[in-house]
This record gives sequence, C-alpha cells and structure tokens, in this order.
Amino acid sequence: MYDYKAHLAPSATLADEILKQLTKINEQTQTKTAVIRKNGNEIYLNTTTTNLRKFNMLLNHTHRLPLTNLFCNDEIAINGHFTLYYTYSHHLQNCHFIITVPITPEEPNFPSITKITPAADKYEREIRDLFALEPLEHPNPTDLIYHGNWQNHPPHLRKSVTDLSQPPLPEAKDVPEPALITIDSPDVYQIPVGPIHAGVIEPGHFRFTVAGEPIINLQTKMHYTHKGTEKLAEQMTIQQGFFLSERISGDETFANSFAYCLAAEKIAKAEVPLRAQHTRIILAELERIISHFGDLSGIAGDTANLFLASQFNMLRIMGYNLAHYLTNTRFLRSTNKLGGVRKDFLKGKEHGAVEQLKAIRREIIDTTEIAQNDTMFLDRLEHTGVLYAHTAYDLNATGIAGRASGLDYDVRKNHPYSVYDQFKFAAHHLDCGDVSCRFNVRLSEALSSVNLMLSVIDGLKDGEISVPLPDKLPPYEYAYGITEAARGENMHWLMVGENNTIYRYKVRTPSFCNWMAVPYAVNTNLVPDFPLINKSFNLSYSGNDL
Amino acid sequence: MLKKYEKVLKYRRLTNDYPFKPIDNTGYVGAPAILADKCQKCRICAQNCPAKAISIDNDGYPNVHIDQCIYCSLCADLCHAQAIFMTESFTDSTSNKANLLRKPMIIEQIPAVDTEALAEELKTKIQKTLRRSLQIREIDAGSCNGCDYEANALMNPLNDLERLGITFVASPRHADMLLVTGSVTRNMHRALLQAYEATPDPKIVVACGACALSGGIFRDSYATNNGVDSVIPVDMYIPGCPPRPPAIIYGILKAIDRIK
Repeated sequence: MYDYKAHLAPSATLADEILKQLTKINEQTQTKTAVIRKNGNEIYLNTTTTNLRKFNMLLNHTHRLPLTNLFCNDEIAINGHFTLYYTYSHHLQNCHFIITVPITPEEPNFPSITKITPAADKYEREIRDLFALEPLEHPNPTDLIYHGNWQNHPPHLRKSVTDLSQPPLPEAKDVPEPALITIDSPDVYQIPVGPIHAGVIEPGHFRFTVAGEPIINLQTKMHYTHKGTEKLAEQMTIQQGFFLSERISGDETFANSFAYCLAAEKIAKAEVPLRAQHTRIILAELERIISHFGDLSGIAGDTANLFLASQFNMLRIMGYNLAHYLTNTRFLRSTNKLGGVRKDFLKGKEHGAVEQLKAIRREIIDTTEIAQNDTMFLDRLEHTGVLYAHTAYDLNATGIAGRASGLDYDVRKNHPYSVYDQFKFAAHHLDCGDVSCRFNVRLSEALSSVNLMLSVIDGLKDGEISVPLPDKLPPYEYAYGITEAARGENMHWLMVGENNTIYRYKVRTPSFCNWMAVPYAVNTNLVPDFPLINKSFNLSYSGNDL
Repeated sequence: MLKKYEKVLKYRRLTNDYPFKPIDNTGYVGAPAILADKCQKCRICAQNCPAKAISIDNDGYPNVHIDQCIYCSLCADLCHAQAIFMTESFTDSTSNKANLLRKPMIIEQIPAVDTEALAEELKTKIQKTLRRSLQIREIDAGSCNGCDYEANALMNPLNDLERLGITFVASPRHADMLLVTGSVTRNMHRALLQAYEATPDPKIVVACGACALSGGIFRDSYATNNGVDSVIPVDMYIPGCPPRPPAIIYGILKAIDRIK
C-alpha cells in the first residue's frame, strides 16, 4: 500500500531553520530579507517575484507545509505597489509563514505556482479577476467570478475602482459558453446541473462527464452568489464590518465573527476576559454540533434512511433549542462582539444548559449505535466518494474532509486560539477518505464537542464579559484571525485603515479549499451517489463565493 | 433493531401546532421599535447602523426601514435614552413594502404581537383554493444561506410544513410559488428570470429575508441587485435576517390569501 503518511508528514524542521533557508534564497539575488514576527505565530517575510517559485518549492515541497491562503492587497496608497501574501502554515510548530511579494502597477503580473502547488489555482484566478494581475503560465487562466456576463469588468478590489455601478446584463446570446471541457464521443455524455438545484440549497453549476454509469470527470462552476463582500467591507468601520463577517455564511455565523474578532483584538492588543472566552468556546462548539447534525441528517436522508435522518434532524432541533435558550437566536447572530460577548449568556442558565447537553449526548450515543448496526446504510457509505490523502494534501483539504483522509489537523489543536489549549478534548481522524469516514469523524467530533462544552460550563467562573476596544485601532496594522469552523480551518486577514475603517478584509473559508477536492472524490462514482458525496463534504457556496 | 422502536415510541410527535394554535414567541428578536417620547434625536443609531436601515426624517426622528434591517439590535444597545427596543414580533410579513417603514411611536401604539392562530376562515380558504396542496420552489439568488437553512427547517419534524399540504418541489415548472432568498447577484440574475418565466401562472413570489427585500447588508454592492423586486414582481415580503421558521410559515400563508 502507498505509504502516504511518510510522504505527507509535515517537516519537523524548526521554524527558525526554515527561515534561515529562505533568507539564503533571498541572499542569492541580493534581496534584503525583513522578518516581522507578529501576533504570536505569524512570521512575515518578503521576497521578489524572481524568488517566489523557489520559496514555494522549499516550503510546499521540501518541508511539506500546505499553502493555506493566498491573496492580494492594494497597497499603492501606502507603499506604491500591490502585495501578494502567500501563507504556508506549519501545523506542527504552530506558526504561519506569510511571504509577501510586491507587484508594481507597471508590471501587473506574477509567476503562477499552480503547476507545482495545485491549491493555488483558485486563489490566482481570483486575483486575476479582482485585481487584474495576470498569473503567468497559469494552466487554466479563465474567469472565476463573472461567467462572461460582465465583459471587461473593472478590477473591483483595486482601490482606484470607486465606480461600483453595473452595466445592464447582456443578452443571453452574447454571453459566451462557459470554459468547461466538452468531450466529443458517442459513448460519453455530459449532464449539466444547476445553478438552481432540485433541493433547498445554494446555487452552483456542476457538469458531469459520464461514461456509462460512472462519472469520469466533474467540473464545477461556482461564484453564483458572489456578492462583493470584501469590497463592501472596505467601505465599513471595524464595528460595522463585524456584522458583515456574521453574514459571510449563514450557518458559520459564529466561527466567522469569532475569526474577525480575533483579528481585530490582536491588532488592538486587547485581553479578552476569561468568561467571554469560555462563552465563545461554548457558542462555537454549539454551532459546530448544529452544523454536524444537519450534515449527518443529510447523509442519512440521501441514502433513504429516513429514520436516521429524522433522528439527526431531531438532534439538530435540540441544538437550535439550546441556542435559543441561551441566546434567543438560532444562528448565534449578534452574540459575539469585538472584545468579548454581547451578554452574559450563561448566567443562571448553566444548569439548564447542562441538562440539555446531557440529553443531546445520550441521543448521540444511542443514534451512533443504531447507525453502526445498520449494515445496509454502512454499505452505502463505505468506499463511496474516496478522497485520497495526497489529493487532500495537494489541495489543502481542511476540516472534516482532510481529517477523514488522514490529515490529522485541527486548528483548535495545532494553532490553539482563544483558550482552547486549556481544555482537553479528543480530536478525531480516519484514513480511508470515503463518505463513511467523513460520517464517523463528524459523529465522534459532535460527541467530543458536547463533552468539551460540558467541561467548559463546569469550569465557568464569574467575571467580566467584554473589554472595550480602543476608539481607533492603529492604522495599517494587520493580523490573522484563524478559527476552526464546523467545515474546517477558517482564515480571516484584516488590515485596518485610517479612522478605524477596514483597509482590507480577506476571508478564506474552508469551503473555498474543499470545493476543489469534491471533483476528485466524485470521480468513478455513480451519478446518484453525487448528492451523498457532496453532502458528506457539506460545503457552503456563499462562503466560497463571498 | 429494538433501539429503533424504542426511539419511535419515545418521540411520538415533535411537531408543533402553529399555525392552528398560537406559538410561544418569548425571546424572539423581532423588528426594532422607536419610542417617540424618549428619543433625543442624537442620531447615533442612524450613524452606526451596519445595514443603513435607519434614516432621519424631516422632524429629526429616526425611522427604521424593516426591509433593510438585519435585526442585529446594535441600535437598541447604543441608544443612551433606551428609546429603541427589539420587539418579539415575527408577523411583519406584508404585501406592501411601505408598511415596512417604522416611524417613532408611543408605547401604546405599538401593536401587540399577533401570535394567535390563523383564523378558521383562512384555513378553509387555503384548503379551498389549493385543495390542500401548495408547491413551492425555493430559489437562492445569492443569500448567505441563513434563509435557506430556515427554509429547510420548515420541513424538519418540528415544523413539518407538509401537514399543511405545502411541499417544496424540484422544478419551477411544478411550482405555484417561488420563495426567493438573497439579494439577486449579477450571476443569478438570469437564472432567476428564467425560473420565473418557467413557473406556470398564476404564480406568487415571496421574498424572504433582508437581502431579498432590499439587499440588506449587501445593498449597493458592485455584484448584486437591491432585492428581488428589482428583478421580478414580488407579492409578499418576509423581513428578518434570517426570518424564523414561524415567520416564514406566516408569510407563506399570508401570501396564499392573495391568490384569487
């Protein structure tokens, strides 16, 4: 058997040693290296477009650090150029290398690294669309955001673009065919699906290429719900941006606002009180279990196991009831706050919450037993939709998708934020990468989340629930806020502008990474299994499209 | 196997009886209300509203546009004079958008929340017009997926909309009603128009959530329209961010009432 573990294990090399090697590459081209250590675990260092591919080779291949984020920032007003930020995360040493590459407006292009690091594909195309910077030698330089319905659209995320009006929608006949592969063969046919799907879900276009029964290729066209979130944020104050972050993806409300708050609090150097930290953990875990139950119910529903589907649906309702009991909201909106939490949600409700959580735990244990004794159900899940570990690594599949494929990585463990490091909780991972693994990892994770919530409530101490942030955050300061959402690693990068406004807010949700992995998991499966596989990933379209 | 039957016996019925019996709406976060006698016209609420849902009228009083409101309750928190509070209402659905502008009131004028069951006559009317069947096609035209999860929740064991003869269908060609969420992004614009054209007449369009009503927090973005009614005619507006399942049920039933 292919020993992927030896092949994929991240390097144990110390961060300082890697830093030395990077500096050496820069020295070869007489580039001065400035290393900025910030916010605990962020290491920023600069390089040039000439050295970029060498940097990528060293980090992504030699040391096997995944490319976790790549974005552009228009810094012309600050230092006269665009800056690309390549983030490589060292999961074993709790640090992130952020490589900054200046791009001058006179030469609006940069070397593509997609051929070496497939995870970079969508990031580079996004930069191409929204900043009009061309990734050189990109294997597939096609439109990502606008599907040909806005010819010559301006690069919206450049600061110079202030006219946000839209031209009228072109006639249907004037919109070019999407750049998807067609196959001309009598034995192979294509099934177009979407953007409006049969179920009550978000829009996206899938094109299956099918030979007989099995799918031989799946192409996805996303960004139907592209709302211009990042540009909107740049017109907002830090306070208002918080409410936008809650609306990036509906069922990840708390994980997103949590990440936003972490970033802003790092910039403000605010010490969030312990009770607020504990409350945040309880709410974040509550959101996680609600999301997991919804997905488990979907998996059961897609295998026509309606008893299990209702059972998980009931658990989800119990989760929502607990959310309503604690916060009067269902999606935990307006519960978080910069510098703490909005109210003391647990005051006087500890006992009630523990009772409800215990009921949920009992029900999870019973339901797990029922699910694991249902052989027909298990048969449907096993060997369906396999995502291999090396594919998961190459595309930086994160969260459940990565953990079910053997990538043992959880932000709460590897880059602990808030006070997660003060609690013991089990992290789960399995190796086969099929729907069954994703089902089981989710199920065990829901259980350990309930246990974590119970232990947090147990150790809850009285105290303040928020600290005021300064009226004005220092301009042009920046920080990462990284949380583990129900779907996986959730990275928000925030740069403050003048007068407490947002200069740049880059959001990379786990869905953005995991959507790249879905076509690989679907290959060779039957079309009727696609909903099941898709459900087992449970990805957000809105979080991907922004 | 026995465990399965144990569960079936233990949880016989989870479904609540709304709309035939009133629902307990304690703690619901509804639309904000402004008290005219307490308001000091300081404008802090209007300046800080993230969705720009509060405007200042000619007398200097703040007015709340419920269609844009994202129910974040920031205004209620910021008001020094405690002139703004969040009602517990979930029955703000209306066919006329003008009803969604809330001017300051004195406390007696604020209508009590109508949690009561829908009247028997409406029930019979629904059964008469639709013969116990309403087919809804839900279309996400660029929401954050909050409204879609709530629309999904209409079919869970708690709300179980099918008991009213209302089902979600896979194709607009089978639908009597389009339930549209999201502000209609540029990329979904044509798809929504095509779905609307594919729906047989008579059809009703229900816009669900702040984005669908006015663009909500995504208003005036470069990539979206400002709400569903800028693209297709809308018969019923359900405010909320996202509206709770009972609010959506109320809106849907109210929309049915409009079928002639």
